[in-house]
Amino acid sequence: MPIVHSPGPPRPQPAIDQAPFHEWVFPDGTPWTRFYRAGPDYLLRFPDLADFEVSANGLKVRSHPVPGISVDTVQHLYLNQVLPLALSKQGRLVFHAGAIETQAGAIAFMGESGKGKSTLTASFATAGFRFLTDDALLVEAQDGFYAVQPSHASIRLWQDSQQALVGEAAALAPPVQYTPKARILSGDKLVFCPVALPLRRVYFLGDGSADSTSFQRMTPSEALVSLVRNAFLLDIDEQQTLAAHFDQLSKLVSLPIYYRLDYPRRYEDLAAVRQAIIEHATQESEPA
Amino acid sequence: MNLTDKPTIPAQVMARQVGDETVILDLGSGTYFGLDPVGARIWQLIGEGKTLGEICDTMLDEYDVTREALEHDVMELVARLLEQKLVSIE
Repeated sequence: MPIVHSPGPPRPQPAIDQAPFHEWVFPDGTPWTRFYRAGPDYLLRFPDLADFEVSANGLKVRSHPVPGISVDTVQHLYLNQVLPLALSKQGRLVFHAGAIETQAGAIAFMGESGKGKSTLTASFATAGFRFLTDDALLVEAQDGFYAVQPSHASIRLWQDSQQALVGEAAALAPPVQYTPKARILSGDKLVFCPVALPLRRVYFLGDGSADSTSFQRMTPSEALVSLVRNAFLLDIDEQQTLAAHFDQLSKLVSLPIYYRLDYPRRYEDLAAVRQAIIEHATQESEPA
Repeated sequence: MNLTDKPTIPAQVMARQVGDETVILDLGSGTYFGLDPVGARIWQLIGEGKTLGEICDTMLDEYDVTREALEHDVMELVARLLEQKLVSIE
């Protein structure tokens, strides 16, 4: 079912006389998103940026930017944060991940913020591999396989990655007011893949301490717990939703496609890293 | 904790077998916990209502291990499950 996003007028963020039932915070403890109940519905608050009202069924979203916050900022928050959460309310599987197209199918890169998902995704995209998403990976069960749905056609990069990978000539979207990252639009340098592809591999990115590119097959239980950590889930207190999500993930990890991937984080090594990943993804899976 | 104790699985805890492993989810806290094949077998025997001693008796017939080592492993896992509130002991 399509989700309808209705932008509302700017308004200051009123005080809420209840504690959030869930919260996302940055590594330094700064709150990023607060999750509140609003009757049967939800209110997602991005402090000093915007409020989003999400209907109980996840089909309707209404946004209210704080005065002075740009339309582009609200739209980007919607696409990257709120839409995946609303999709999760409909029972869809959405993960924090980048994904690219290969001849073998879609390859996804998951990992905590700062592990290099977007840089690796952009690296592939600048080398001729179309990208499906740089942040919100929507996975759907099809007849006998799982498909990765394309997300929106831009990639966010820190300035050093932007300069190393795409240079200054890339088309940029208007800046958003919560991150200094540049948002690079798809085009000749970064080609977007607008069609769904079968999921071939999921790589969980390590911390960059490896001396060379390394792959390690994950067991199903390791993969499941790692998928949970990277999943968008709007209502973590709703036991029925949690149980259904658990069942979906239990089926998803039956595929032998999950690996830990680590490599030294050096721009000059990325071509070799890409080559190793493509060769690895083309091979049949190893025993766990 | 001793070998006559019988762990029980709270109603809000669910588990699914994935391959030869098991993943446990506590719906109340949202905690996930992965078990390797040996841990999965212990979990299965807990689910059958066996005491810790009965679990060890059963597994001694199934694994090439000394009773001492097995009791240590069973006790250690159940202690971790208790800590995570994934099982309880009356």
